[in-house]
Order: sequence, then structure tokens, then C-alpha cells
Amino acid sequence: MKKTLLILLPLMLLACSREVEEMPLYRQYAARQDLTVAQVKGFQLCDTVKTDVVILVADDSTAWAGLKEEFDIRTSEGVTSWMGDIDKPAKRVKRSVRPAWRAMAVHADRTIAFYRIEDSVQYQALLDYQLDKLKIEN
Amino acid sequence: MNNMTFDSIWEKEERQGLQQRLRQDYPAWVRRRRQRRTALATITVLAVAGFSFFNFQSSTSKDYDYVACNRSGIAEGHWADVAANILIMNSEI
Repeated sequence: MKKTLLILLPLMLLACSREVEEMPLYRQYAARQDLTVAQVKGFQLCDTVKTDVVILVADDSTAWAGLKEEFDIRTSEGVTSWMGDIDKPAKRVKRSVRPAWRAMAVHADRTIAFYRIEDSVQYQALLDYQLDKLKIEN
Repeated sequence: MNNMTFDSIWEKEERQGLQQRLRQDYPAWVRRRRQRRTALATITVLAVAGFSFFNFQSSTSKDYDYVACNRSGIAEGHWADVAANILIMNSEI
């Protein structure tokens, strides 16, 4: 029995532990003291499509001003969105470029979310997600 | 003699291949030992099954695989909600 437990316990612990793979964009900002940074791996857009999301939240208005400058955000209210280069998310790219980041900055929350778009299926799923939710709201 | 004493005797005899003698001399102790081991095995199997079921349930009911954050104390689900809310907030498609 002791042998069984010795085999089962590590297996259970192994099942509990999850390999957390950090995305480069997350790693780039995670050390910043003035930002709360999160990554959501495998965010479900629909039954069959998932995407990865990196979220940056400025802890105060100074940090937010810095982020806005860093990402060349010139508006000050509502939501600002753009397609960003996969390696340099501040750089605007055409909607057709893949892979890319779909970035959305919410001024009221001092938050920027980056949705990784690998292909047209993911992009369409992202649009459908927005449309579906808007339909539900209206 | 208590259970632990009997178990240590059994293991000692097991090493020497002499359990048959114990079975003859102490049939009630052997029976109780088998019952205890069966009970323990049942509990272990149930625990593993329960744990596996719980893990399966929690992994299938989430709308994300996993979350990492540079600050502790913030619930994983919060970030999935933020990701969803920002998409909904953005009316520009």
C-alpha cells in the first residue's frame, strides 16, 4: 500500500502542476513595478477557437500616461483599438497582417488588452465574439 | 498485540516467505489485515477518482487554459473576465 501511495501521490501532484509558458509580451512587462500584467492562455472565443491575451493595467495615472506614450495612443476616452505588430505591438499594421495583436486600450480602466491573432479563423472568431455579445446586449 | 505489531510481524514473515504459518496461527488477524488493506485501497481509489473528476470538471468549465500574473492575490477568473469585457466594450469592429 505504501508503494501504491508513493506512486499515486507524485502522479496527483504532477496532474496539479501546470506548465506555465510565458509569452514574450508578458515577460517584457511583467517586471514593471508600475503595471499589473497578466496573460490569459487559451481564452475561449467560441467552441473551437481560442486565443492568447496579454493585459496591461497601469497602477496610476502616471503609469497610464507612460503606457499611452509607449503605444502611441493619442485619444483620451472610450476605447482605442488597433492591429499591432506581433513583435512590436505599438507599431500599427494592416488588418490583414498575420500573426498580429488586436490591441484595445480602455482609458477609463487604464488597461490595454492584446489578443493574439494567428490566422483569419481567429480574427473572425474574435469579431463573432464581439458581435454575439453586442446582439445579446441589445 | 495491536494492528501495527501484527503488520510488522507479517512483513517480517513475508520477507522470509513464512506467511502460511501466520495464516494458520492467526486467521482472525490475517482476515482483519486483509479488510484494513481493502478499505485503504478503496479509499485511495475513491480519492484518486474524485480528484480526477474534479480536475476534469474544472478544466472543462473554464473559458481559458491558464492565467499568469505578475501580482499575487488576483483571482485567475478576473483576468478572463477582463479579456471578455474589453472585447464587449469595444464597439469598433
